[in-house]
Amino acid sequence: MPRTMLFLTLFLLGAAAARAQGLAFVIDSAGAAVSVVDVGSEREIRRIPVLREPHHMALTPDHRFLLIGDTTGNELLFLDPRTGEILRRLTVSDPYQLQFSPDGKWLVVNGLARNQVDIFDAKDYHLVHRVALKSMPSHLNFSPDSSTVYITLQGTDRLAAIALGSGAVLWNTEVGETPAAVLWHQGRLLVAVMGGNGISVVDPATGVVRARIPTGRGAHNLFLSPDGKVIYVTNRVDGTLAVLDAQSLKVTREIRVPGGPDDLDFGPDGRLWISRRFAHSVAVLDPVSGHYDVIEVGRSPHGIWLNTHDHLPRALAGTAPPHS
Amino acid sequence: MSDPFDTLAGWLSEHLLIPLLWQVGLMRWEDLAYGWALFATYGAMQVALMYAICLPLERFFPIERWPDHRVELTDMFYTVLARVGLLPLVTFVLFFRVQVAFSGWLTDHGYVPPTLERAIPGLLGHPILTFLAYALILDFADYWRHRLSHRFRWWYALHALHHAQRQMTFWSDDRNHLLDDLIAALWFGVIALGVGVPPLQFPLLVLVLRFLESLSHANTRLSFGWLGERLLISPRFHRVHHAARAAGKQSCNYGAVFPYWDMLFGTADFTTQYAPTGDPRAPEALASGGYLAQQWAGLQGFIQALAPPRRHLS
Ligand SMILES: [Zn+2]
Ligand SMILES: [Zn+2]
Repeated sequence: MPRTMLFLTLFLLGAAAARAQGLAFVIDSAGAAVSVVDVGSEREIRRIPVLREPHHMALTPDHRFLLIGDTTGNELLFLDPRTGEILRRLTVSDPYQLQFSPDGKWLVVNGLARNQVDIFDAKDYHLVHRVALKSMPSHLNFSPDSSTVYITLQGTDRLAAIALGSGAVLWNTEVGETPAAVLWHQGRLLVAVMGGNGISVVDPATGVVRARIPTGRGAHNLFLSPDGKVIYVTNRVDGTLAVLDAQSLKVTREIRVPGGPDDLDFGPDGRLWISRRFAHSVAVLDPVSGHYDVIEVGRSPHGIWLNTHDHLPRALAGTAPPHS
Repeated sequence: MSDPFDTLAGWLSEHLLIPLLWQVGLMRWEDLAYGWALFATYGAMQVALMYAICLPLERFFPIERWPDHRVELTDMFYTVLARVGLLPLVTFVLFFRVQVAFSGWLTDHGYVPPTLERAIPGLLGHPILTFLAYALILDFADYWRHRLSHRFRWWYALHALHHAQRQMTFWSDDRNHLLDDLIAALWFGVIALGVGVPPLQFPLLVLVLRFLESLSHANTRLSFGWLGERLLISPRFHRVHHAARAAGKQSCNYGAVFPYWDMLFGTADFTTQYAPTGDPRAPEALASGGYLAQQWAGLQGFIQALAPPRRHLS
């Protein structure tokens, strides 16, 4: 009898552990929804309807909210990152990409259609600076000291640096055709050149391009692995993931991920979760073997984020949210 | 199970549109490629569905029989242009961006373009209900747009292109003057600022409505019965609007999908049977000319109607 109880307890604990693995949030831009995927079973478990056309998201510095920008709906949604419940809505015009500065003081929101960069105070979300930039501000990244934000301008092939304190544009230079992601890396800026076939290495002080590294056609997004050893580049046109050595910036490997690979997050088991824009699915890729599982989601998956990262409160991860 | 339309639109984007945009240096518009691919995929499906259902109806239960089908080719061209080809692309690239920018500008000036789902939060997450609510509002707006296009001389000069067809078939729904299309786009743009229009969420439901609009032009003896006629617009009902004697100012049955607005505003005719179509006063080029001849004739009529009346020396 005690033995049965023990087995039962172990079984229940095991089930709870499997369920507590967490959730992946995958934004479906053309479907006006957010797919919630159970990380353990790799299945979409539900869809959160939003107004119009969501694209990207960012976790608040205090980890309490996951912010989702609905561009044509002109609103920011505040979700519970553990459950996906919508807790608050804030009117913001045309929120496309959004990111908090490393020190947590600023929230920068790019308005791609409106050619503007909004700098908010992250404490109370009041607008501090609005910077007009031509044209199509797309991705962004910060200097580690949180003094400067770097913005790619998809429409004019440029990269701009803005001082967060003053809102002044420090420089605005040409970096390659249709730049997408920008990433601060070891004192340099890496810019994915989507209209070209690789990344530009840019001097953060002047905006001058120091080197160009081919990675594949339609280089779109850039990610530093959690161990800091490699950089992953999604190549939108070639349908590949280029693996770069983080020190030498040499391409060490190319992994085929067809379907318009876009955004990426790191799973708890070391696999990469990659949204495939044109294949209505997420690829969960083992970077060692190059094999990937496919998880079907909404029609146009874009931003992706997993709530399984170590620093997050995980107590409620994977449990059913209250009806919303 | 994935949606075959999503799969096809994705395939078109990945293998055709995106490589093409990359090749010609227009990757900045890659965000719009999928939307357009989805629109074109559903458009092609609309045409296929029309063909599969309306063609047998016209073949086996026709109202009129014509020895020569050449004038229908122009209508086919209008249909393909409007549903699969260039027009959706223009709508997406130009109109959609302008609308986003303008609604964003309004937001900054304190006017948040409202959406039905924000006013009635219960709608969010119920796609069919939401879609029906939008369909009713847009159909109401379209009733008045159409009714006014008969009221003003300059506007009817353009709309006469739609009425001039004497061999009306299910291909005739999209035969419109480009300027008339533009006015309609602006009209719905304004409506969108008032209630919000979901751009891409409900493509399947849009497909059904567009199919009904095509069907209502079919050359076929089809009435939906006493009750059905009062719920949805049938080929019989819309044909009365296209009857030769209903062309111009004194017309009836302006509705596109739902007959409620005609019933409400006293313009419904449920009794007339299958009369010949066309507009006897319209220039012949509008009826039997090719695509360009029709566009040109429509433009001429439009300019003449706007020009001040000539003074005669006495
Ligand atoms: Zn009419
Ligand atoms: Zn008609």
